[in-house]
Amino acid sequence: MPVSTAMPNRVIPVLALAALGLVWVLDLGVVLPNRIVAGTGYGLYGATGWAGAFVVTALLLAAGLLATRPVPKRFPVLAVLLTAALMFLPLLLEALATRRLPADSAYARIGIGAGFWSLAFFLALMLTETMHQLKASRHLQLTAALLIILGWWVCARREGLGSLSLLREYNNQADQFTQALSVHLLLSLGAVLISAVLAFILALAMVRRKSWRRPLLGLVSFMQTIPSLALFGLLIAPLAALSEALPVLQALGIRGIGWAPALLALIAYSLLPMVRNTFIALMEVPEAVVDAARGMGMSERQIFFQVKLSLALPVIIEGVRITTIQAIGLTAVAALIGAGGFGTFIFQGLGQAAMDLVLLGALPTVFLALAADAVLSALNVRRAPGD
Amino acid sequence: MIELKGVTRRFGETVAVDGIDLTIETGEVCVLVGSSGCGKSTTLRMINRLLPRSSGDILVDGEDVNDIDPQALRLNMGYVIQSTGLFPHWTVARNIGLVPDLLKWPARRREQRVNELLTLLGLDPQTDAARFPHQLSGGQAQRVGVARALAGDPNILLMDEPFGALDAITRELLQQEMLRIQKQLNKTTVFVTHDIDEALRLATRIAVMDQGRIIQHDTPEAILRQPASTFVENLLGSGDRGLKLLALRTVGEVMERHPEPRRPASDTTGLNEADSLRVALSAMVWENATQLPVLSKAGCEVGIVKREQLLQVRP
Ligand SMILES: Nc1ncnc2c1ncn2[C@@H]1O[C@H](COP(=O)(O)OP(=O)(O)O)[C@@H](O)[C@H]1O
Ligand SMILES: [Mg+2]
Repeated sequence: MPVSTAMPNRVIPVLALAALGLVWVLDLGVVLPNRIVAGTGYGLYGATGWAGAFVVTALLLAAGLLATRPVPKRFPVLAVLLTAALMFLPLLLEALATRRLPADSAYARIGIGAGFWSLAFFLALMLTETMHQLKASRHLQLTAALLIILGWWVCARREGLGSLSLLREYNNQADQFTQALSVHLLLSLGAVLISAVLAFILALAMVRRKSWRRPLLGLVSFMQTIPSLALFGLLIAPLAALSEALPVLQALGIRGIGWAPALLALIAYSLLPMVRNTFIALMEVPEAVVDAARGMGMSERQIFFQVKLSLALPVIIEGVRITTIQAIGLTAVAALIGAGGFGTFIFQGLGQAAMDLVLLGALPTVFLALAADAVLSALNVRRAPGD
Repeated sequence: MIELKGVTRRFGETVAVDGIDLTIETGEVCVLVGSSGCGKSTTLRMINRLLPRSSGDILVDGEDVNDIDPQALRLNMGYVIQSTGLFPHWTVARNIGLVPDLLKWPARRREQRVNELLTLLGLDPQTDAARFPHQLSGGQAQRVGVARALAGDPNILLMDEPFGALDAITRELLQQEMLRIQKQLNKTTVFVTHDIDEALRLATRIAVMDQGRIIQHDTPEAILRQPASTFVENLLGSGDRGLKLLALRTVGEVMERHPEPRRPASDTTGLNEADSLRVALSAMVWENATQLPVLSKAGCEVGIVKREQLLQVRP
């Protein structure tokens, strides 16, 4: 990396300055007397005192300055520094709790402020840029991400953060949280799996028969255009009627509301990206390659598996990736028709104006989507031939 | 031996190949030449059954190809196409090893064969084997294409404009390689091209095609000396027919050989035995010489070639 060692990096200082500005201007956290009532906001200084404010400011300035100096090994140092900073970030909230939480109130709690989120976000961007400059392997990036998660997990288990509103909400609903996690995963991954199989069959049919292409693509595109809430709603009546008519369905738990319409709607939404990517991927295999394969004496079966499918797989996996992220997001909406999952917390929280309950649903949803993205992207990188 | 007897192929109303008869002897290079759309590829693809024929018979060593399992048939026929058709997701080594793989050769033998072919085609087994097709130049990719076709040691080689997409210099280089390899391996080859110079250079016999028919089927020299029709004459071009004729012969065929190799005079340009008479004439014009010495690889003068001898090629 001769270029990156010699040249001053401009991205990291800019991000560091932005973070510095925001963390001094915005509230780092809020102290709430109870679950619902609006609380008092505290900035960096108010929340953590001189010591905390100094550490945060010094760290951001140091990182920004280091990036502009032609010091050897500055990016490895930055990577370690930023990973550590992100790992121990929740300690700032702990400081707020220790300093500002009224000792006599059992209901008082700490809310996370915009300053904290900004700091986390900009530190993450700085780390991303550092990793980019380091040309870090997926392995290294994954290790950093896992370390940060580990850090947050350890911080969350400490006594000092027990008053964090988010954790209070979690502790109130720990069982429901586990339940929501499994329902969310089952629904979204189940829908992805079923629609992947369906899409594969449909795409194959479209490859084989020209006349099926337009109607099939039209159908799956049409399903995609129905707003998700409407589709969930639309499925309630027919499914309710079906379940009335057929006791077998009732025994299986298939009703107008619940997981059945949610699963159907999720599959309907997942079909378009899957069918389109699979179809295009299979069609884009160069004619000459197939001609050569056949001419060399490969059987149709061998051509399909070793050539067509093998060449199409990265694009198909890309379709699965898009679909999975979309399904994880949509499953949250499906809570509206009683499907369960993390959406339950979001809508309960919205109903009770308890923002931290909303976060308890929203954060894991985002996290699941990011995790799915990382796993499926990694799968594709591994498959791409090196150059 | 490949025999085509009254072979016809229709696509709906169009007759792509119109009742052609053609015999390709074992070990010869038969070049199908003709303008685009005259039915060359269709003819070639009927031989390995990539296309079914509409009527007629195609026999390979006396057996009707329709009686042979198509995969078994193709495994015994190397196939090279213009766009190479290399598998982009496989390394060069794996591409070349395709047919040995299909034939279930043991891994050791396959690996050995791949290295052998890389060397034969002028590629480097150390560096090139692990590369992917997109990392190769056009010429290298087509070398791999030819290596892949030869890997299973087939008796027959079918080549559809294999060098058509290459620049002139690379094309000529690969034509030379092709002549060298053919001398070594003697594969029964059907070679399709629209380039008459390539045909004259590579062919044992040329089949000139027009609108699905074979207009003339003969040796390059016979076709040059006696074109069967104005179509063939036009294909040959009238401007440099004499030079084309010269290009068919080598210096070694007409030179006067010294009884003993001599030391050449230091300042003269020399010819090689393998040079064509066309090259020899060009050198004489350039040097303003009436004769030039012929040098061996070691640099000894083994004979001379005279200008009059060149000019007497057409009796
Ligand atoms: N798959 C096909 N469908 C319809 N017509 C075809 C097909 N393949 C070739 N033809 C027609 O057959 C004729 C001969 O084609 P081809 O053998 O490819 O010519 P060449 O290889 O000499 O350029 C052309 O008129 C072409 O349009
Ligand atoms: Mg052709």
